[in-house]
Amino acid sequence: MDARLRRVNKEITDCKNDKTSQIKIELVDESPFHLKGSFPGPEGTPYEGGKFEVDIVIPESYPFQPVKMKFITKLYHPNVSSASGAICLDILKDAWSPVLTLKSTLISLQSLLCSPEPNDPQDAEVAKHYMTSKQSFEETAAYWTHIYAGGPPPKGSGGAANDEVAIAGLDKAQVDRFEALGFQRSKVVDVLRRLNYRGANIAKISDDVVVEKLLMA
Amino acid sequence: MSSDYEYSDDDAEYYDDDEEMIDGTQEEGDDSDDDVDMDTFGDDFKVSTKGKKKSYEVDYDSLSQQQVEKLMQKDVDHICGIFGVDVSTAGLLLRHMKWNKEKLIEKYMDNPDSVAVAAGVTIPEARPAPPSRSNSQAAAAAANQPSRRPLTRGSKLLSLASGSKSSSSKSPTTPQRAPPISRTSSWKRTQDEPFVCQICFNDAPNLQPLALDCEHAFCSDCWKDYLTAKIMEEGEHSVRCMAEDCALVLPDPFIRELLVPAMDAPAPTTKEAKAAEAQGLKTWSHFQELLVRHFVACNAHLKFCPYPSCTNTVSCPSAASKSSLTTVVPTVSCGARGIGGEEMSQSQHGPGLQGKEHKFCFGCPIESDHRPVVCNVAKMWLRKCRDDSETANWIKSNTKECSQCQSTIEKNGGCNHMTCKKCKHEFCWVCMGPWSEHGTAWYSCNRYDEKTGVDARDAQSKSRASLERYLHYYNRWANHEQSAKLSVELYAKTEKKMEEMQITSSLTWIEVQFMKKAVEEVEKCRMTLKWTYAMAYYLASGNHKELFEDNQRDLEKAVEDLSELLESPLEAENIPNLRAQVTNKTVYVQKRNEIVLEDTANGFLEGRWHWNTPVEGFDDDDNEA
Repeated sequence: MDARLRRVNKEITDCKNDKTSQIKIELVDESPFHLKGSFPGPEGTPYEGGKFEVDIVIPESYPFQPVKMKFITKLYHPNVSSASGAICLDILKDAWSPVLTLKSTLISLQSLLCSPEPNDPQDAEVAKHYMTSKQSFEETAAYWTHIYAGGPPPKGSGGAANDEVAIAGLDKAQVDRFEALGFQRSKVVDVLRRLNYRGANIAKISDDVVVEKLLMA
Repeated sequence: MSSDYEYSDDDAEYYDDDEEMIDGTQEEGDDSDDDVDMDTFGDDFKVSTKGKKKSYEVDYDSLSQQQVEKLMQKDVDHICGIFGVDVSTAGLLLRHMKWNKEKLIEKYMDNPDSVAVAAGVTIPEARPAPPSRSNSQAAAAAANQPSRRPLTRGSKLLSLASGSKSSSSKSPTTPQRAPPISRTSSWKRTQDEPFVCQICFNDAPNLQPLALDCEHAFCSDCWKDYLTAKIMEEGEHSVRCMAEDCALVLPDPFIRELLVPAMDAPAPTTKEAKAAEAQGLKTWSHFQELLVRHFVACNAHLKFCPYPSCTNTVSCPSAASKSSLTTVVPTVSCGARGIGGEEMSQSQHGPGLQGKEHKFCFGCPIESDHRPVVCNVAKMWLRKCRDDSETANWIKSNTKECSQCQSTIEKNGGCNHMTCKKCKHEFCWVCMGPWSEHGTAWYSCNRYDEKTGVDARDAQSKSRASLERYLHYYNRWANHEQSAKLSVELYAKTEKKMEEMQITSSLTWIEVQFMKKAVEEVEKCRMTLKWTYAMAYYLASGNHKELFEDNQRDLEKAVEDLSELLESPLEAENIPNLRAQVTNKTVYVQKRNEIVLEDTANGFLEGRWHWNTPVEGFDDDDNEA
């Protein structure tokens, strides 16, 4: 039997037999080389309570080349692209070793959720948010976990009108303030998000700059 | 070998080496056996030492892959002698230090253990070789309390490891300073328990587990697949142990044992076995090539020949530093000719490149021969051409400038009554004069000579001057490039003429070679001329530039005369006359070309040239002149 197939089959079986880890791997279609993994968000993080799904593609020369993984579930994290789900993790690139398994790699992803590395970001906007105000970042991440990963509703969440603002991780009062100047709400959210208009940065960015960007947008 | 090794010897060698390095000419410092090698290869490689060296030429040597390997071997032997380590260890240390012997010696003398660990030769002391059981508990705990890099050595592997490997003789207290020279057998691991490879999960009883000193054992098939992936696909010259976070680098003999069948091994019988053996050998030879490439890349005075599938290396110590590139144009040739692959020479490069020597610039990758201009100026010029030429040409032919505010305007329809969008100036598109003077003649302009119109056109032409100036140089540059490209056709045409000459006159094949020589000379000079325009564009005006342009003009005139002679129709009675003329002109053109090259090269050496814009690598006060 083909060594790659034997190894992947064994990995899938091992994962099924392991009841403790809560890591699940299932087939997407008939091929054992395209899989879907999932794991719960780690406790004590904004991702707690969510279920995160990962798209797994096994390359031709696996296990001598790293598996290709990306998040299917949207999540708000400095090392994960909020648009595409692409992951920035050393073991998925040059630090890959053939002794790593699908399970251990998924555990590494889980642990990545515990300890973001904002200095090596995949999503620069999210990373900036993290660096500026960790508390505000965590609220947003928890909100994303709630709406995309089936997590619990975050404490003190507002109504539906709040959605757009909360997804962008912005202060509602600030958005309202610029909207009152006569700009479209979605435009305000977009500009403030790109400017990283959060936490301590609010004091640093003058209103003139914001208005100028709004006019250009 | 190391038991009665005297430390004072180390010292002596060390200082010897140091002196060599201070000279900065590692190459020349190498003793004579390399020169002997050069002589034996002398027929294959053109070494530009014969005759008097011209000021526009640089000294260089061409080396084959074997010769570079010998240079590497020399460094390795040297390190072996000083440190008392085996060949493969010395190789790993040198590769880790990017072949900087001085630095390696310094660091190694300072702290041999940390260098050896960093180079992946030995395992760090803090982490004992067989992973202890506490690690496995951490791995089990990883599921509940994940860490960024969870340990993945399953407990199964650990029990196996501790079962068989704790007996290995290494004591963790003494760091491995000098591993034994021959330890081929020590990679094979014997198992008390049945072995299951943790990568392919194969548990066949005949599996041969192999491991380095780190005791991470895997089956030989997985090692082979791993090596193939790393070497062939990733082009890695330093391959680490397969275990996660293990920094040990596979020593060359280990790789060799896996990829190259042993001498006494039985010849493969099945088709698959034969294919596997061939693949192994291919990977091994690619690995050797990668090592050579790494060595060449680490040495500033060495460069690989950039021609496809050529494996030669050129050594050019005089162009090794960046600052030297402002005074010399290091055009070198690796000595080989033609293109290696058959299909390459046919389709991609046309017949012109076949049999051509592998000429390239040692200092930059932009063009094989950009004499007389130095690399940085050539680079600036090419960038400008790429960015500006098309735009400039379009602007020239499609736009005019407003005679009041000089903004560039494209007329895309409507009448000739223009109103500048910016300054609201109203003017006539045809004569560029103010519209107010046109009265009611709205759709035609008959006022070309009107004074205001002339003034406006003057202003216009002034603002166009810089554009015109650039286009002047660019068009001539491009013209020579185009002509040089057409030289393939000219060759073919000339060959026909040469045949014709042999038929119509009494000249022999040897005697008609003057035509071919003339064509070659024309092509060469066109390249020189081409780059003189790039040079002239950036030269600050003054006497030096005028002299330069005089030389340029003389060469250009001579080249065009010779070109014309070559294109002139053949008439039987005229051939002896033509032959004399062409031969004369060829010699003259050759001389003129040499004058241009020589004078420019001397100018660079003397710092005579000044630029009208800042050029990288030249002092600022130079540019202001």
